[in-house]
Amino acid sequence: MAEQGLKYTESHEWAKIEGNIATIGLTDFAIEHLGDIVYLELPEAGDDVTAGTAFGTVESVKAASDLNSPLSGKVTEINEELPDNLETLQNSPFAGGWLVKIELSDASEASKLMDCDVYEEYLKNQD
Amino acid sequence: MKRTVFYDKHIALGGKIVDFSGWEMPIQYPAGIVKEHLATRRNAGLFDVSHMGRFIISGAGALDFLQYTLSNNAAALEVGQAQYTIIPTASGSAIDDAYLYRPSEDEFLLVVNASNLDKDWTYLNSFAANYDVQLLNRSTEVAMIALQGPESEAILNGLIEKGKLPADGRNNISQITISNVDIFISRTGYTGEPVCFELFIENAGACAIWDALIEAGAEPVGLGARDTLRLEGSLPLYGHEMGDDIDGNEMPLYACPLAKFAVSFDEVKGDFIGKEALQKQANAIAEYKDGNFSNKAIVPRTIKTIKLIDKGIARAGSKVFAGDKEVGYITSGTMVPYWIIEGELPDVTFTDKTGNRAIGLALIDCELNKDSDITVQVRNKQIKAQIVINNLKGRKPPVALPVV
Repeated sequence: MAEQGLKYTESHEWAKIEGNIATIGLTDFAIEHLGDIVYLELPEAGDDVTAGTAFGTVESVKAASDLNSPLSGKVTEINEELPDNLETLQNSPFAGGWLVKIELSDASEASKLMDCDVYEEYLKNQD
Repeated sequence: MKRTVFYDKHIALGGKIVDFSGWEMPIQYPAGIVKEHLATRRNAGLFDVSHMGRFIISGAGALDFLQYTLSNNAAALEVGQAQYTIIPTASGSAIDDAYLYRPSEDEFLLVVNASNLDKDWTYLNSFAANYDVQLLNRSTEVAMIALQGPESEAILNGLIEKGKLPADGRNNISQITISNVDIFISRTGYTGEPVCFELFIENAGACAIWDALIEAGAEPVGLGARDTLRLEGSLPLYGHEMGDDIDGNEMPLYACPLAKFAVSFDEVKGDFIGKEALQKQANAIAEYKDGNFSNKAIVPRTIKTIKLIDKGIARAGSKVFAGDKEVGYITSGTMVPYWIIEGELPDVTFTDKTGNRAIGLALIDCELNKDSDITVQVRNKQIKAQIVINNLKGRKPPVALPVV
């Protein structure tokens, strides 16, 4: 189940916006569909990210998937321990499994993202 | 879409069903690919492989027929044995790779890949008129399951009512009875496990055997882990390490290191399809061993086992470089888990710790070796990799040891 209060992308990332900072993660739907996650590649603090483009990669045994940034800005912090503790990503995608924090360059982009209810409706049309 | 006799079992076990060569097969069960892989290495994995093709070849001319259409020496098979073999093309590539079993003097069982079943059947039948031979496609009447891993033997011994397991050593076959069901069983498999069995069961009794094996502790394993297990064991998959390459050109069979175990130039065998081309390839490969690459045009690239040194995962299709030069591509690759094991065979102890590593098979320039500096292009980065002898040691029972 997706969480209220977060913003969602069609590629199953979530963003928690607090002031000018957004925490980014992957939804439980994405985690379940990826299967066993075996590798995670995150950007570095200071990297610029752009809404709708890849900022990292998550890989299961079967395939590699891009992590797309919901919003544009500069990475201020990454969840450094996560790539070596992938079970945290699998077990707790909305909390301990957060990926990066970014300082937003254009807060208005948030209006293009889905609210929780819209995202849950969107999931009904996914396999 | 076709279903094996075990379809309802897969659903009941929570299997995630995918289309595999027209079959509805479980890619994984709720445990997931990683846990299923690890369960096979430590305990015993149970695989439904009934989607594969099973042809019975019988009659006074069966042996001659097989000697001409297959690459290995079928006459070397005693009753009660099996061998790896290839259905070669005239030009020395593979139509399919297969396993040939000899349950009785004039009757053979040929097991072929699901994806090639129709092609193989049509092809083999086109030669049948020249021999006193009967071909029977029993694929949908006889079920096939694999039981692989160190606990497999104890599980089977606990269930056997009549008969004995095949003699120790790969490729032996026998007849056993479990739950009043007759089973044709072989010490064969596609996981790299030294303790391995494949069971052939008439459909009517097949589900009872499946249930008995699960009840006795075997873990159901889907096609996902079947692929990671065979990759860790450097076993070829038709369409990746054999058959056509990524550009759609025929791969010479000897590009695959296992070919030398599947091709025989024995006098007894006589002429066979592809013999001339395969002999040239075998000669070229023998020269490579001595560092002589003057005939490298014959088998320009060979399949090598690799591991990644830098972080990242190589995938099928990733380009491989030596310096600036593109030297080939990854034919199969992913991240594969392993148990951390202490001690030496046969007295090894599994810890509760696991790791994983990115490994692969690559079709690359035949001159490259373990000292070559190679990289794999993953997205836009060059990831350092190394050619290795193997990623798994699976010769000595009872446990296959990961090479890390």
